Amino acid sequence: MTLISVSNASFSYGTRSIFDDISFSVEPGEIFCLLGPNGCGKTTLLDCMLGFHRLRSGRIHIMGKDSVKFRPGRIARSIAYVPQKHERTFPYTVRQIVTMGRAAYLGLFEAPSKADLRMADEVLERIGIQHLGNRPYTLLSGGETQLVMIARALVQKTPVMILDEPTAHLDFRYELIIMEVIKELVKDTGLAIIMATHFPNHGFYFQNSGVSTSIALLNEGRFLAVGSPESVLDEKRLRQVYGVTTRVISLPTENGSTMKHIVPLSTASWEAQD
Amino acid sequence: MTKKKRTILYIILFIAPLACIFLSLCVGRYPLPIGDVIKVLWCGIFSDGDAVPHIYQTIIWEIRMPRALLGSLVGACLAVSGAAFQGLFRNPLVSSGILGVSSGAGFGAALAILLFSSVAAVYPFALVFGILAVVCSYLIARLYSTTPAIMLVLGGVIVSSVFAALLSFVKYVADPYEQLPTIVFWLMGSLASARYSDIFVAGVPMVIGVVGLLAIRWQINVLSMGDREAHALGVNTMLSKCIIILCATLATAGAVCVSGVIGWIGLVIPHIGRMLVGNDNRVLIPVSLSLGACFLMLVDNMGRMITGSEIPLGILTALVGGPFFVYLLKKTKGGGWA
Repeated sequence: MTLISVSNASFSYGTRSIFDDISFSVEPGEIFCLLGPNGCGKTTLLDCMLGFHRLRSGRIHIMGKDSVKFRPGRIARSIAYVPQKHERTFPYTVRQIVTMGRAAYLGLFEAPSKADLRMADEVLERIGIQHLGNRPYTLLSGGETQLVMIARALVQKTPVMILDEPTAHLDFRYELIIMEVIKELVKDTGLAIIMATHFPNHGFYFQNSGVSTSIALLNEGRFLAVGSPESVLDEKRLRQVYGVTTRVISLPTENGSTMKHIVPLSTASWEAQD
Repeated sequence: MTKKKRTILYIILFIAPLACIFLSLCVGRYPLPIGDVIKVLWCGIFSDGDAVPHIYQTIIWEIRMPRALLGSLVGACLAVSGAAFQGLFRNPLVSSGILGVSSGAGFGAALAILLFSSVAAVYPFALVFGILAVVCSYLIARLYSTTPAIMLVLGGVIVSSVFAALLSFVKYVADPYEQLPTIVFWLMGSLASARYSDIFVAGVPMVIGVVGLLAIRWQINVLSMGDREAHALGVNTMLSKCIIILCATLATAGAVCVSGVIGWIGLVIPHIGRMLVGNDNRVLIPVSLSLGACFLMLVDNMGRMITGSEIPLGILTALVGGPFFVYLLKKTKGGGWA
């Protein structure tokens, strides 16, 4: 069953077009990576799926139903969201933050029940951060905060999770920790992931770990290419989109297969693109 | 905090306002012995006996009881709306008056005194203008379709300053021997004129507001994540924000119209609550209610006792609250605030 299908979607702020005629669909157990330079419309596209903005034209179907009239609660029971940058305010405990993921299932005047709290604890354990449960989340590191945000999204119990640049600002190790958590979730639960990222190699990483992976290369508001990582990511397209000269290399991995990897060499002059 | 400790804390917070009411009945210019106060209360509730002097009954039932009840209601309202607004606006430095309700009510009261030279019209005028000020702030924020919190605060600042200017104008044209002192004293805040009729009239918006905020208090947690995230978590942010603003405005406007402008409670009490029980509004809102009620009654008792004539409440809450807030800023710098 197709979980999300976006067809001929266009969006503009006033007269400034952000993206145009975008179509794709996401199946259970699939990772869909949105790749593209800063300002190409990745976040806006995610925002439209989450119902923050309305498309200028086109349709977004969530589990077969047109989502244009969905209330926030209905969207939040289908798509969970991990924001790019979470602004911390009050020092809530990690458990309180994660429990907020149940909001979509609670009425206006309702508070989380014992079952909701138990669900939050289960998710913390699953992510491996149960030891942080009672800590004020404002004192966590960037990587730990990101795990908490993923836990909060998991408590929403949705078939789809949207992550906006989940590894931005993270250190070498935490980037990999987040990637591993995402990979495990997709493999174990059949969760579908839509993520915006700045790192082309993320696509190869997921594919190498045996997860069905698609890459969409977004440039100036349009999909330049959509497909498997090795079919989309080549030296020519990366030069065209980013103006970067790269080399795609193959590496042997621990499990005996080979994994592709993109190595940036230098910024190419924009005139020399074609 | 362990479960047992928490239970004890809740029991204390439940009993504390009752104890403060009882204390308020005993102390004042005419101190009453505890035994006699108990006797009067007992007789008043269960029988009509005349075991104690009649004057005691008058002092307790006609003067001190309505004042204590009103004080507890006003303190609770200001503290709870302050806590709710701090969560909603994601800002620990805002208070119950942030959307202009206090300035609006202050202007309304002054206008009533100017027009009618009596205090009778003060309640409706203060109430209406307090609510009107918040409506103005809200409409200003609605210029942006999503009513973002920052625009609400900005709208509140603008509206507050406009009403402050209007208030100055009223003071300027008011009769300096009769009306001006009345206006000035009203603005400083007092519970001295408390009667049961006040409690019944102003109590309606206050109780509706506080009950509403108690009911919606967990949503305040989610809204404090910011509009974007709250929306993504499935909250109808427009509706929730409207309900919270409406309830907090009713509670504050009700409080201000009977007691005058009493600052600091809506700012400081929620912070004391946070130091005691943490940031979860599910716990913090009821705790603020109890603390606010106690704090205002205690300050009012101080005001009645320190000097021969009463010290206005607005002065005392600031004198007690100000230094405490500085201490709090120093203390919380390392306490988990980002």
